[in-house]
Amino acid sequence: MKGKEDFVNNLNRKTVAIGLAVAAVFVVVGNLVFSYALETLDVQAERLGVSGESILDAPFPEYTIPGFDNAWGSVLLGIASMLLIFTVTLVVANLLKKKGQDS
Amino acid sequence: MHIPDGFLSLPIAIAAFATTIVFWIISFRKLKNSLDERQVPIMGLLTALFFAAQMINYPILGGTTAHLLGGASLGIILGPYAGCVSMSIILVLQCFLFGDGGITALGANVFNMGVVGVFVPALLILAFNKVTKGRGLFAWIFISAFASDVLSAIFAGVELGFSVPTFHYGLNIAVSAMVINHSVIGVIEGIVTVVLIATLLKLRPDVLSKSPTLKALQFFQASNNVEQWSASS
Repeated sequence: MKGKEDFVNNLNRKTVAIGLAVAAVFVVVGNLVFSYALETLDVQAERLGVSGESILDAPFPEYTIPGFDNAWGSVLLGIASMLLIFTVTLVVANLLKKKGQDS
Repeated sequence: MHIPDGFLSLPIAIAAFATTIVFWIISFRKLKNSLDERQVPIMGLLTALFFAAQMINYPILGGTTAHLLGGASLGIILGPYAGCVSMSIILVLQCFLFGDGGITALGANVFNMGVVGVFVPALLILAFNKVTKGRGLFAWIFISAFASDVLSAIFAGVELGFSVPTFHYGLNIAVSAMVINHSVIGVIEGIVTVVLIATLLKLRPDVLSKSPTLKALQFFQASNNVEQWSASS
């Protein structure tokens, strides 16, 4: 039974590692190849003469590091953010999982 | 689809926040002490994966670009409650870290993409399962994912349309503007969702076996189907 649990956990680690590597590739592609963004909502708003405003100054506006105008900086920021989101979700999910289960 | 600050009127923003909070409470209550251990890493992985996938902007109609939402995949693979929590984490961090989506529109953005975008495909799959007795699974996954994107866009359009003092262009213009392009996005979302679920079914059917949505389907209850898929890879 213990062996089976180890097998499942190891398999999960391998799957998660591959998945995070794929996510990192998405970040690289999203920042270096398909980075130009002009969404429908933005286009329609501009056409209609409606402009949005930002109430809160985000620390990394437009997914960039302020003062660091480099696509690779955005890649690093994207990967760090992706790992942060992974960690936050794990923490939340661990708080919600069935009692008596350790992942 | 991330609505920025200044587009929604105050009553619409408050109503959207209130509705979202209700869904957050329901989702957390449903998940509390019931989330399966083996869903934890997959939940983290899919959340990170779709956050990253949302960074890829591909060209669609009229010079505009779009990106995947991932709501359908999250709703179908993780179930609607865990999917809602996952998409909410993405949207909250996008709002506070990157200013992607306004803080006053956060309730509306979570409602559109994290509630409508996640619950609709999960519920549609279950409805189709009843009607078709488990046949045509991948066609229904595609249609559910497509509907998820288009309905999210319709809700965003309705919120903008009713924000007349702020957006001041009315329901017809706001909804039609959102729906046309998001129909194209919906097709791509449908294809990606089908490919992702088919791939998991071949390579890691055990991941899908923990899905509250999928394990309720007759296709998955007939264990031979899952075994055949994994054996044929």
